[in-house]
Amino acid sequence: MSHAEGPDHRKLLNWDELVIGEQLPTLDYVLTQEMMDEFRLGVMDPEAAFPTISQKVDVRPYHLVYRDDGSVNARCSFHFYNPPVAGKRIVVHAWIADKYARRGKNYIVTEAVSVDEDGRLLDRVITHELKQPSEVGKKWQ
Amino acid sequence: MAIEKRMYKIGDELAPLTKHMTQEAINHFESSGGAKGPSQFTDVETARSTLGTKGTVASGRMSLTFTTELLRRFFGAEIYNRGGTVDMRFLRPVRPGDSVTFSGKITGMSKEANGCRVTVEVTGTNQKGDTTAVGGGSCLVPSGYLPAEE
Repeated sequence: MSHAEGPDHRKLLNWDELVIGEQLPTLDYVLTQEMMDEFRLGVMDPEAAFPTISQKVDVRPYHLVYRDDGSVNARCSFHFYNPPVAGKRIVVHAWIADKYARRGKNYIVTEAVSVDEDGRLLDRVITHELKQPSEVGKKWQ
Repeated sequence: MAIEKRMYKIGDELAPLTKHMTQEAINHFESSGGAKGPSQFTDVETARSTLGTKGTVASGRMSLTFTTELLRRFFGAEIYNRGGTVDMRFLRPVRPGDSVTFSGKITGMSKEANGCRVTVEVTGTNQKGDTTAVGGGSCLVPSGYLPAEE
């Protein structure tokens, strides 16, 4: 994920030292109708109700704290509670939910919960990211 | 207004959903989430340097969203959007030009305090017959949508 220009003060990911349960910075944004319309174009579904999926709100807070060599989404899950409403501010709480090594590859698991300005619980997302993206690239030629 | 009752049983198959991936769709998806700069999803050179692939790939979250559509069409938006889950593992990349078909069937049903949790397994398969994603989802169907118990 790209980062704003200027000195990069983020920590380089040290997978061994990453603490499960670490709270990540709170994120907030206003979901606009334009975001919703563009999301629906992207997924070719005019009734898609959760544009929060493309916001990647669990990995974005991670990237505010850490820099790394990139990642590949290995697994992702969502729990849906209430469809978000365009024009509402959404607050996201995210944390490091887990980490594990499998077949010599390191994974981290981030989790986030989104709530809108009226206190409506919207969704919960859990993502497993492989932190050695070139490993899958070798298989994906 | 009367609620239309739904019947579910293990083994019921979902109507398959096919999506034709394009770079334009990938670009819209990424842009909708605020990712405006080049990435492995939108830029060939970034994909080469980050993944080592020859071209761009679609985010796994797009396949996740397609699975969500499959499940929402099956259960109905009025209940899936307020009690649904989806959980997918991404096994192979989906690239611009690919057609991916998502199919599923009911594998479990269990009573919960506020309804019945219906569980579905889902597979994504590309035009070559390769499995691109596996997993599934579930939906908590409120008791009011189910036939009265005998």
